[in-house]
Amino acid sequence: MAHYSTGDPIYALATPYSPSALAVIRASGDGVISLLQPLFSSDLSRKPGGSAVHGYISDKRGRRLDEVMLLIYSSGHGYTGEEAFEIMCHGSLPVIRSISAALEEIGIREAERGEFTYRAFMHGRMDLTEAEAVEEIVGARTERAGSDALERLTGSIRREAEAIKEEILDILASVEVQLDYGEDDVPDEWVFPSERVSRIIDRLDLIASTYTSSRLYSHGATVVLAGRTNAGKSSLYNAMLKENRAIVSSEEGTTRDYIEADAELLGIPVRLFDTAGLRDAEGDVEREGIRRSRTLIDEADLVVYVLDGMEADCYPDGERVLKVRSKRDLTGLDSGLSFSSVTGEGLDLVINAIADRLKGDELPSSDVPRIDSKRQLDAIKEASSALRDAEDAVMMGEDVVAMYLQSALSSLSALTGEVTSEDVLERLFSSFCLGK
Amino acid sequence: MDYDAIVVGGGHAGIEAALAISREGFETLMITQSLDAIGRMSCNPSIGGLAKGNLVREIDALGGEMGHLIDRTMLQFRILNRRRGPAVQAPRAQADKFSYSRLAKETLEREHHLHLFMDTVVDLLIEDGSVAGVVTERGWRISSRVLVLTTGTFMDGRIFIGEYDAPCGRLGESAAIGLGDSLRRLGFHTGRMKTGTPARVRLSSLDLDEMERQEGDAAEPFSFDDDAVDCPQLPCYVTYTNEETHRIIRDNISRSPLYGGKIVGRGPRYCPSIEDKVVRFPDRERHQIFVEPEGLGSEEMYLNGLSSSLPEDVQRAFIHTIPGLRHAEVMRPAYAVEYDYLDPLDLYPTLESKLIRSLFIAGQTNGTSGYEEAAAQGLMAGINAAERIKGEKGIILSRTDAYIGVLIDDLVTKGTKEPYRMFTSRAEYRLSLRHDTADERLTPIGIRIGLASGERAERFEHKKQELCKVESILRSARSGEKSAYERLKEPGVDIKELGITDLEAFPDQILRRVELDIRYSGYLLRQEREVEKARREENMEIPPDFDYDSVEGISSESREKLKTVRPASIGQAARISGVRVSDIAVLAVAVRSRRG
Repeated sequence: MAHYSTGDPIYALATPYSPSALAVIRASGDGVISLLQPLFSSDLSRKPGGSAVHGYISDKRGRRLDEVMLLIYSSGHGYTGEEAFEIMCHGSLPVIRSISAALEEIGIREAERGEFTYRAFMHGRMDLTEAEAVEEIVGARTERAGSDALERLTGSIRREAEAIKEEILDILASVEVQLDYGEDDVPDEWVFPSERVSRIIDRLDLIASTYTSSRLYSHGATVVLAGRTNAGKSSLYNAMLKENRAIVSSEEGTTRDYIEADAELLGIPVRLFDTAGLRDAEGDVEREGIRRSRTLIDEADLVVYVLDGMEADCYPDGERVLKVRSKRDLTGLDSGLSFSSVTGEGLDLVINAIADRLKGDELPSSDVPRIDSKRQLDAIKEASSALRDAEDAVMMGEDVVAMYLQSALSSLSALTGEVTSEDVLERLFSSFCLGK
Repeated sequence: MDYDAIVVGGGHAGIEAALAISREGFETLMITQSLDAIGRMSCNPSIGGLAKGNLVREIDALGGEMGHLIDRTMLQFRILNRRRGPAVQAPRAQADKFSYSRLAKETLEREHHLHLFMDTVVDLLIEDGSVAGVVTERGWRISSRVLVLTTGTFMDGRIFIGEYDAPCGRLGESAAIGLGDSLRRLGFHTGRMKTGTPARVRLSSLDLDEMERQEGDAAEPFSFDDDAVDCPQLPCYVTYTNEETHRIIRDNISRSPLYGGKIVGRGPRYCPSIEDKVVRFPDRERHQIFVEPEGLGSEEMYLNGLSSSLPEDVQRAFIHTIPGLRHAEVMRPAYAVEYDYLDPLDLYPTLESKLIRSLFIAGQTNGTSGYEEAAAQGLMAGINAAERIKGEKGIILSRTDAYIGVLIDDLVTKGTKEPYRMFTSRAEYRLSLRHDTADERLTPIGIRIGLASGERAERFEHKKQELCKVESILRSARSGEKSAYERLKEPGVDIKELGITDLEAFPDQILRRVELDIRYSGYLLRQEREVEKARREENMEIPPDFDYDSVEGISSESREKLKTVRPASIGQAARISGVRVSDIAVLAVAVRSRRG
């Protein structure tokens, strides 16, 4: 059963998940500061509790995510009383999500609701009156939302998860009956049902893949405009922001060589980058700018390459590349993807095309239920990997196989509710005639 | 005060309870309805089996008696699930039930502080909410500081054979009438359960050549005190029912008290009667029957798999359709027995009653089935009764430590609707609960409470050193590219085939033990974090008088469940079925804040 616990590293966004100037991400747990160290630009080991450190936060591969202020708390201080830190970063959604993802990569999990407060209390950081308020808060949530994971699930994913649970339960019961009755009662050798298990794994993987597209709407995507200097990138950039009045913020990087802004394209939150033109640069400064543009391009969810309608140009095709032609008003072309930032012609087509590409063609068919939370994704991935481990363990013995099957079931419990040993026995007694 | 402790009942639970208390030096009286029935095996003539074998070894590791008794009275020994993974392997022995019972009585009689008395307890003496003694059928009022109740199937027991029924706990043995009513008057929640036993037939009337002969394995001791066992190795026989058997049963099903509605108690799903099997699995062409000896010098053979409550003429008719049994002379008929049990939700994890202080309840009375389950509870009830006399807090084994922990925790946390039997799948941490590691897990506890003798403690220390030596030899020896230690992690590698001469001096069981420890080490690691977390929650205790009504924010449904179970820890609270996760969090907060 999932429990509130203390000690293991957790994080949560302390400010609302919406674009704003500043966001605070808070983390707590044993050793969180040393966990964070590899991602942070300055040395944290000698900083006393309560200090504020300026620096850059990067992901595991070293890509800088944001310039932040970090507040660190040693054990016994801070809100929870555990070792903790708070990251104050820019309040753009892609920044928040990239930092969250980086924290998860280093083993800090997203907190349950109320978990920080729970820990604060358990470590004696609150008095009785405050604690009773916590009881009410957590309790009220129970009555309202139902802590039962089942209630949070939409019909289709729940049905699917139930069906998969039933399948695994069947397989588990068939091995448990052997383990609990022995060769006298169940003389046949048990054979690992490889085909059945790989069908379940495939299905789980397929469901996991829906996460990308569901996530697109909740977490957004990075789109980079690229192309030669004067190809018309900036005009497109401005036009896109103009066409979509959902401009939230636009900042011009003083040290950066690109402009970025948050926009919404047909409901998809997009972080839009206008990069420096790609050409052989002469000056050092410009060369550096182009290098950074290339990094951006490498990491974007989609690169919109703007071809100058008036000139010959080519750019390698790629999965993440969408080519559009500019200066439609001058070329008079009306076929293919072309637009004019002057007349506005073709802009809607380009925007539609960008949205379609972001949604991807790998969009699974509609009979696959979608998941939209990281927790669900983790549960499904864990279940699928436990099933793979189960197959690998066949040589070790059926007791180990059973352990992995059980572990697959308990991973799914986040989606289906707990599977108890009583469920297993129930299945076992109803499917097999026993009774020595 | 007449005695320090009274133990009511001389079955498998009563034996362990009485020995555990008296061996700690407390004057103990065992009251039983029949001194001739001490340690009687009412049903199958065997001890151990899957999960149950682990229980026996755990009882032994703590300093209990069951391992010694079976080691000296076994007729055949087998290791079950040999090929299905060491964590689920378990020893089982066919017992000579007459010698077993006799040895049990002799063992009780050898104990200086233990006294035996034949009478029937009909009521309890209560003073200020604590138990003060018992009242017997013949009018004795005997006082004691603690009481252990192990009434088995005798409390308002009633047996059924077709249209016949009689107030008995076993065939031919009177039920204990009156105690159930007394307990109900005291506020105990009681229910009815049902179990059954098959017919016994005469060996010389069987056609042995029509059945498969089943031999045992080389015998190994259950007890960690014993190096080897002397065992006569009697065979069992296997035969099968057929279409004709099933037809007779189907034609007469209306004469079964189970189907006719005379029996209301719930029977065990895992051990159905033959009529249940025929009705519930109509597609099965045959069911397996084991014919097992009941004892040396006895012709009685137990028909394992044929338990029934059909009338005797029907029993004879279907038995005679089975190969090997065509001419069988039925010596005792099969019968069902229905009896009162006490809802185990009324118990603390120490097996002390929540209703009456210093009253401990163990065995089938708590809704379990099986000698091993009974003995395990008897031992823990005895240990905790002795702790109570000493003024100590009590010993609770956790689910991570022992099957005994799983058994008792399940009973007091979830209750039971059918006779509860141990299964390995009830344990979350099965890989850590191998039968061969019971001593490592539990003997330190046995030593601490003074139940494991000095000699046992010495053996245990010696064994630990041997295990340590073998492990270090394996770490330094090479096997190909790797150390022998690493090699053993691969499936199928046999420690004896590594060709390490230094290991030849060590006994087999030491080598096998190390081999398994190493092979499972990776998997155990995987469990460890879970186990650690479980332990933390187990350590967050909830005071017995905790006021659940004072906690705001717990859903009313969870609150009722918590008030019924009164869990001893947050860990136990979290296992109550249907209690919400967030309610547990609120509870943890509240428990901590009330403590100040």
